[in-house]
Amino acid sequence: MTDVSATVGAVWRQESARIVAGLLRLVRDVGLAEELAQDALVAALEQWPAGGVPDNPGAWLMTIAKRRAVDHIRRSRTQERLAPELAQLPEPSQDDVLRLMFTSCHPVLPTEARVALTLRVIAGLSPAEIARAFLVSEQVIAQRIAAAKRTLADAGVAYEPSRQLASVLEVVYLIFNEGYSATSGADLIRADLCLEALRLGRLLAVLAPDEAEVHGLVALMEIQQSRSAARTGPRGEPIPLHEQNRGRWDQLLIRRGFAAMLRAREAAGPPGPYVLQAAIAVCHAQAHTAEDTDWVRISALYQALEQLLPTPVVRLNRAVAVGFAQGPQAGLDLLDDLHTAPELADYHLLPSVRGDLLLRLGRTAEARRELERGASLARNTAERAFLLRRAATLDVPEDQRPRLGPAVADFLDSLGPATARAYGQTLHRVARAAGVSLPLAELTPARVAEIFATTWPSVAPRSWNRHVAALRSFATWADTPDLATAVSPRPVVAAPPRPAVTASEEGCALRERVLWCLLRESSAKVGAVLSLNVEDLDLADRSARNATIVWRSGTARLLPDLIGGRTRGPLFLSDRRPGPGRPPAAADLCSETGRRRLSYERAEYLCKRATGRTLGSLRGV
Amino acid sequence: MRYLMMQKAGGAEPDAQLYADMAAFVEELTASGVLLATGGLDPVGFKMTSAGDEITVTDGPFTEAKEAIGGFALVEVRTKEEALELCRRFRKIVGDGESVIHQVYGP
Repeated sequence: MTDVSATVGAVWRQESARIVAGLLRLVRDVGLAEELAQDALVAALEQWPAGGVPDNPGAWLMTIAKRRAVDHIRRSRTQERLAPELAQLPEPSQDDVLRLMFTSCHPVLPTEARVALTLRVIAGLSPAEIARAFLVSEQVIAQRIAAAKRTLADAGVAYEPSRQLASVLEVVYLIFNEGYSATSGADLIRADLCLEALRLGRLLAVLAPDEAEVHGLVALMEIQQSRSAARTGPRGEPIPLHEQNRGRWDQLLIRRGFAAMLRAREAAGPPGPYVLQAAIAVCHAQAHTAEDTDWVRISALYQALEQLLPTPVVRLNRAVAVGFAQGPQAGLDLLDDLHTAPELADYHLLPSVRGDLLLRLGRTAEARRELERGASLARNTAERAFLLRRAATLDVPEDQRPRLGPAVADFLDSLGPATARAYGQTLHRVARAAGVSLPLAELTPARVAEIFATTWPSVAPRSWNRHVAALRSFATWADTPDLATAVSPRPVVAAPPRPAVTASEEGCALRERVLWCLLRESSAKVGAVLSLNVEDLDLADRSARNATIVWRSGTARLLPDLIGGRTRGPLFLSDRRPGPGRPPAAADLCSETGRRRLSYERAEYLCKRATGRTLGSLRGV
Repeated sequence: MRYLMMQKAGGAEPDAQLYADMAAFVEELTASGVLLATGGLDPVGFKMTSAGDEITVTDGPFTEAKEAIGGFALVEVRTKEEALELCRRFRKIVGDGESVIHQVYGP
């Protein structure tokens, strides 16, 4: 005997997408469609234990849900003579499910909401299951889904048969990658996300059979998934593709991937990014050993992919492929362009790949430094250990020359604490980017200039000059005058004079206007002004706290209104009363209104939002 | 998780309706990404036994016809209940009989 409630759950997951999709055509609101479908589920839970599970449970649920939907429409539109044919609507079709997918992945929703809603209404997962997979609380997911349904209802997009295929593909691949990037044993639950994404992809391939990119995505996911058993070693360390035991690749999934790829080729049109990535995956899967890999073809595919998706990661992968196809030097040449990509500044794979290529060129000492640098950037402990082990196996003759990392540490030690902290921010970043174990003598001005340009591409001249000062000071200390010339200070342009009162201020709330006016007229510090209490003020003398803060007619005109009838407590109050969790200090609480003192952060936010300027910039204008 | 469902031979005599229902069922499972592989088995088969260095090959059949495995389906589902539900629907189509289901260990 089987547990009926478990059966209901299983049926629900298999059928919910079709039921919700069919209802969506009737009620045009995802949230309502799902509620009505849930009603049918409750009916099943009540009736199936007594009457047995029906032969076609999906159709049974659909009938009940449709009846509820018709009741609902009748109630909400009593004045209309309801057409009896409503009840004889056709069975939900494939198009309905596709439409539901487009709706749940609609670009009006933020990405997280698209993912959560898709897993809810298409995959039929419960909020608890989604929450577990994404390592957040169930409440967060429930709120995310509710907000997404509201947004869809408000935006009125529910019934648009729009063609936002790219967004759907993106969501599916995102779900897949979320599960795929989790490699450790504790994250086994997340592996389920890969299976959900595969299911969604396979479903989509049936719904939109003429779209090459859909089949490309399915092929890509099937082949990536086929390697899941071979991707990690016994200690959880990642195993790079060309070192994996190909005997552990799942041939069933590989063949399914190949079949999907054939369908992608049959669908006409120039190959898109998913088809190209799948083609690369196919090349790897076709090679019986790592040495058999057709790197020439793979590097050509990466070149085509780079035309469509010129991201640094694609370019990095292309450099790897070219390194195998045309030799390590060619790969290294491509990598040199990537040094200046800010996105890769902290990406551990860049130095790791460089280390590999240098090793194949016989430049062992440099290779070891790059691998160590990669290890210092790796976020995953298994990955870090793996890189360090590789670096340790390299036989490098002992180098007695001073290293960059220790030199920076020695230099900072020789300074006072405040200077050391300020300079340390600059020099640690430089050392990390160049590699802490790099011999100081090998750090060239050109490399330093590159690091500066990559790390601080768009800072204000003042900040830039602080970094330059730190570097020059270090260069002098380390007796490497070349380095001091690597970067030069930038001229600081005086800010243009600001208008005294902007038009937008006039429309602002009284509290803000008083605060800004007082700051302008008194030139007092923002903290001092926000800490004023009503009893500190001497309105007749236009001053406060024994005349250390004084103001003029503008503030004097507004102040009485702000004070109202209050006689003591903070002058500037926040909008809301504090919650029970975080009671403020007594001095920050107004005994008459129960509100707390306006915080610096909130005041700053309000000012920036209204005027685009900081509170500090209002002083003394 | 993957389950291997094996159908013992026998059941209702296949007619046109059964073929159509089965085709629709297989199509639906394939579309939803559940069905990974399926196939029918020759009920006869042959057997190989080893004892030390000695290998013996014996031609089938070995069991009564209705005890032999007639076909299999490899499905990928989230829970055991889903596998059960799929099998229940399958049995509704092919008629009374017996299926044996094993979970396939894997990644």
